[in-house]
Amino acid sequence: MNAPLKVVGVAGPRKDAPDKVTGAGRYTVDIALPGMLHAKVLRSPHAHARVLSIDARRAAEAPGVRAVLTRDDLAGIAPTYGYFIKDQPIVALDRVRYVGDTVAAVAADTEAQAAAALKLIEVAYEPLAATAGIEAAMAQDFPELFPEPPMGIVPAYGAGASGALRPGRNNCYRFTYETGPADAFAGCDHVFEDEFHFGRGQHFHLEPFVTVARVEGGQIELWSSCQNPFPLRKELARLLRHPENRIRVHVPYIGAGYGAKNNCKTEPIAILLAKKARRPVRFCMTMEECFLTQTQHAAILRLKTGAMKDGTFVAREGHILLNAGAYADASPLVAEKAGYRLAGPYKWRRVKTDCDCILTNTTPAGPFRGFGGTQASWASESQVDMIARRLGIDPLELRLKNLIELGQPYMPGESGMDSDLKAGLKLVAERIGYGVRPRAPGRGVGLSVGFKDAGGVNKPAQARVKVATGGDIYLHCGTTEIGQGATTALSQVVAEILNAPLGRVAYAAVDTDYTPFDQGTNASSAICVMGQAVAQAAQSVKRQVLDFAAQQLKCSLDELALDDWTIRRGNESHPLNLMIMRQFGGTGMEFTGEGFYKMPLDHHAPLEAPCVSWEIGWGAAEVEVDRETGQVKVLQLVVSGDAGRAINPLVCRGQDEGSAVMGLGGALYENMLYDGTELVNGTGMSYRLPLATDVPDGFVSVLQEQGHGPGPFGAKSLGEGCMLPVASAIANAIEDAIGARVTALPLTPERVLAALDRIGRAPKRG
Amino acid sequence: MAERMLDIATTINGRAETLTVASSDMLIDVLRERLGLTGTKLSCDVATCGACTVLIDGEPVASCATFAFEAEGRAVTTIEGLAAPDGTLDPVQEAFLQRSAFQCGFCTPGMILLAKALLARNPRPDRATIKNWLGANICRCTGYRMIFEAVEEAAERLARKGAAR
Repeated sequence: MNAPLKVVGVAGPRKDAPDKVTGAGRYTVDIALPGMLHAKVLRSPHAHARVLSIDARRAAEAPGVRAVLTRDDLAGIAPTYGYFIKDQPIVALDRVRYVGDTVAAVAADTEAQAAAALKLIEVAYEPLAATAGIEAAMAQDFPELFPEPPMGIVPAYGAGASGALRPGRNNCYRFTYETGPADAFAGCDHVFEDEFHFGRGQHFHLEPFVTVARVEGGQIELWSSCQNPFPLRKELARLLRHPENRIRVHVPYIGAGYGAKNNCKTEPIAILLAKKARRPVRFCMTMEECFLTQTQHAAILRLKTGAMKDGTFVAREGHILLNAGAYADASPLVAEKAGYRLAGPYKWRRVKTDCDCILTNTTPAGPFRGFGGTQASWASESQVDMIARRLGIDPLELRLKNLIELGQPYMPGESGMDSDLKAGLKLVAERIGYGVRPRAPGRGVGLSVGFKDAGGVNKPAQARVKVATGGDIYLHCGTTEIGQGATTALSQVVAEILNAPLGRVAYAAVDTDYTPFDQGTNASSAICVMGQAVAQAAQSVKRQVLDFAAQQLKCSLDELALDDWTIRRGNESHPLNLMIMRQFGGTGMEFTGEGFYKMPLDHHAPLEAPCVSWEIGWGAAEVEVDRETGQVKVLQLVVSGDAGRAINPLVCRGQDEGSAVMGLGGALYENMLYDGTELVNGTGMSYRLPLATDVPDGFVSVLQEQGHGPGPFGAKSLGEGCMLPVASAIANAIEDAIGARVTALPLTPERVLAALDRIGRAPKRG
Repeated sequence: MAERMLDIATTINGRAETLTVASSDMLIDVLRERLGLTGTKLSCDVATCGACTVLIDGEPVASCATFAFEAEGRAVTTIEGLAAPDGTLDPVQEAFLQRSAFQCGFCTPGMILLAKALLARNPRPDRATIKNWLGANICRCTGYRMIFEAVEEAAERLARKGAAR
C-alpha cells in the first residue's frame, strides 16, 4: 500500500546550501538600515556591588551620541526579564551582580563613538561580598544576591514532580522528582555514593548576539539572531508594556546558538535606544561580551545508587547543584530536565532527585545544547560504569541487564521509550571492537548511553502550507534555520506529501506578523513537534487540491492522484494550473492548509504532559593515556543517534557529528575559568574548544533508523543526543586504561594524574 | 597616533578599486560596509576563529586583523569572488554544497577560502594535511569531518576539471 518515498530519505544538498557557500545568505549581522546607530553597553567592573549613582550627562553630550540608556529611563515599563523568574534588569537597577553585568548603554553614529562615550559615564559603586562558587554562595554567612522576595512562579507539574522558589540561601529554584517506595535501599546488597563535577562550557556561537531595532510611531520592528521569536515577542510586549501585535520580529539565518539565543539578550536595549534616539539601532556584541552574557551550567552532582549482587538496579537518589550565575534565566527549566533525567534510561523501583539552582556572581547560565541532560548523563553513565567495575560485572552487560525496553515508560505516567536502547548500545560496542581485541597497555575502551527527552514539554506548534496557481509551494512555520537543517528536512516532508520535487518548496522567512505561532527552535522539537504540524498542513492542502479536482472533473476522490501539480485520473493527465485558472480566472488562486500539533496534557505524566520523544546518543570511546603526563588521546570515538527515519541523512549526520565534537570539547578542554569572580579565559583566543586537529582519526557516527519515532514518516529528534555520551564514555575508557577514575570535567592531564595519585599508581616524580 | 586618510589601489574579486581609507580601518570593515561584501563574517575579532578569512594574493588572512591599507597593490578575494560571473560555483563551493559541509554557515566563507588556498598549494592533500590547515579556523557546528570530506571531494573535482582542459 505504501508508495516508496521519493524525497524523504534522500541525502541531497540542503536548501540553504547555495546561500551559504556563496556568501549570499543574510544574517542579522548583515542587516543595515538607513540612519542606523550603533549601541555599546557599559559593563560592571564589580562582581557584586550596590549602584549608588549613575551620571551619564557627559556621555550624552559626547561626539556622535544620540541616546543614552540608564535605570532612569525605565520608568513606566517592567524593568526585569527572565523565564519563570523575572529577575534580570535591562540595565542595572540598585545592584550589579557579576563582572560584566549591564550598567548602561549608549547609541552613537559609530561603534567607536559609542565605546568612547561609555568612558564618560560616572558610576559610584559600593562593593559587596562576591563569589563564583556554588558552595560558597550557599553558606549562611554569604549575602543573598536578591534580598527581596522571589519574583516568579512555579510551573505546573504532574505525578511525582514539584518545584520550589528560594528553598535555601541563593537557591533560586529547586526541582524535585520522586517515585517508588522510600525504603527501597533497605533491600539492596550494595549502595554506592559518588560525587561528580561538571565544567562550564561557553556556547561560542560564531554569530554574536545581535539585534537591529526600529521604532516608528507605535510599531516596533526588529531583526534578531534569536531562536524563539514568539516567546521573545511576548516577553518584549510585557517588558515594554507594548501591544504584542505592534512588535514584529524578523529572524534571518542564525549563525548558530546551541541554546544561547532563547529570550532577551540584545533586544530590549536596542529597542529602548531606538525609541529614544528615533533612529534604528544595531546592538551587536563582541565575542568577549557573549562570554559575559550566557553560559552552560557548571554542576556538582551526587548520586546514591542501590543494586543487587547480580547487578540488578533497584534505587537511585541524586542531588544536583547547578551554578546558575547571577540571574535565574532558564535555570529552573534546566533544573527540571537535569533532575528528571538523572536516573538514566534504566529500570528502577525508586527514584528521587533534587536539583538546585544556586545564584553566584558569574555570567548567567542558561539553555545549552543537552539542557541539563549533559550534566545528568555525565554523572549517571560514569557511576553506572563504576558500579560495574566494583561488582566485577562487564559494563556492557550491566547496562544491557538494566536498560529499559522499547515501549516501556521512562517513569510512571510517561510515554514509552521509542528507541531500542540495547540494539543501539550493542551497535557502538561492536563498532569500536568492545571486548574483542586484546588491550594494549595504557589503552582502554568505554561505553555510554546518553539520554534525554526531546520535543520540549507541553509544546504547541502551528504550520501553514500554501500552493500558488503554478504549483509553487510555500512552507510557513516558526522553526528558525540555526544551522541544524530543519528548513531542509521540513521542506522534504512537504514535498513528499505533495508528491512534488523539493525544489518547488520555498521555506518562507520567519516574520512574526505572518508566520504561524511556534514556541521556539529548541528542545530538538523541529522534526517531532513542528514536523507533525507541517505534515498535517501539507495533508490539508493535498486534500483541498484533490477535492477541487474531483469537483472540476466530476468524479470521486479515489479516482485521482496528485503528481507534481498534475492530477492523474487513470491515463488522463490534468494540469492543475489550467484547472485553477478555468475556475478562478487567469489571476489564479492559492490553496492554504493549516497544521497544529501538541502532546495533550496529562496529570499522570510527571512533567504534566508525556514527553513527545526520547533522544538517545550511544557512545563508545577508545583512549590512550600517558601515565607520565596525564595526557588523554582519544583514538576512536563512535557515536550513534536514532533518527527513527532520516528525512535527510546528511543533515542527520551533521547533527550527530557536530554534537559529538561539542561533547568532546566539554570532555577534554572546555571550561570557563574564574580567578575569584573574574573570568580569565573569556576570549576567542583563550577559550579552548575543539579544532579540526583535535578530531580523532577514529571518529565516526553511525546513523540508526529504528523506525519508532512520533514524527513524520517515523522520524524522531537528533541534534543533542550524540553530545551526551561523549564525556562519560571517555572517562570510562580512562578507567579501563589506567584503573583510575576521574570524576570532574574537563578530563585534564592534572586530573588524570591526581586520579592516578589517589590509587597510588602515579609515576614516581623527582 | 593621528589618524591619516590614505588612497589605495587594490583589486577586489578581480576588479580594480581605488579607495580612500583611514589608516585605522580594518579590511573587513571596508569589505562589508563600503563594498557590501557581507559574505565575510566577523566573529572573534582576534584573528583566531577564521570566520573573517579572505585571500590576499592567494594567501589566507584574517581580515579582522588586517588593515585596509595592506591591500594596496594586492589582489583580495572574498567568498563573493569565487563563483563564475554566470553563477557557476567554484569546485570548492560545489563540494561544500554537495557534501553539506556546513550548518549555520557562519564559518563557511572562511573555510571555503582556506580550503581554496590549501588546494592551490597542494592539489591532493592527505587527511592529515587537511586537518592541519583547517585547524586554523573554527567550526562550532559540524564536527569537521564533513568539511574534511568536502575538501577531498573538491580536490577530486579540481583534478577532473584540470584533466578536462
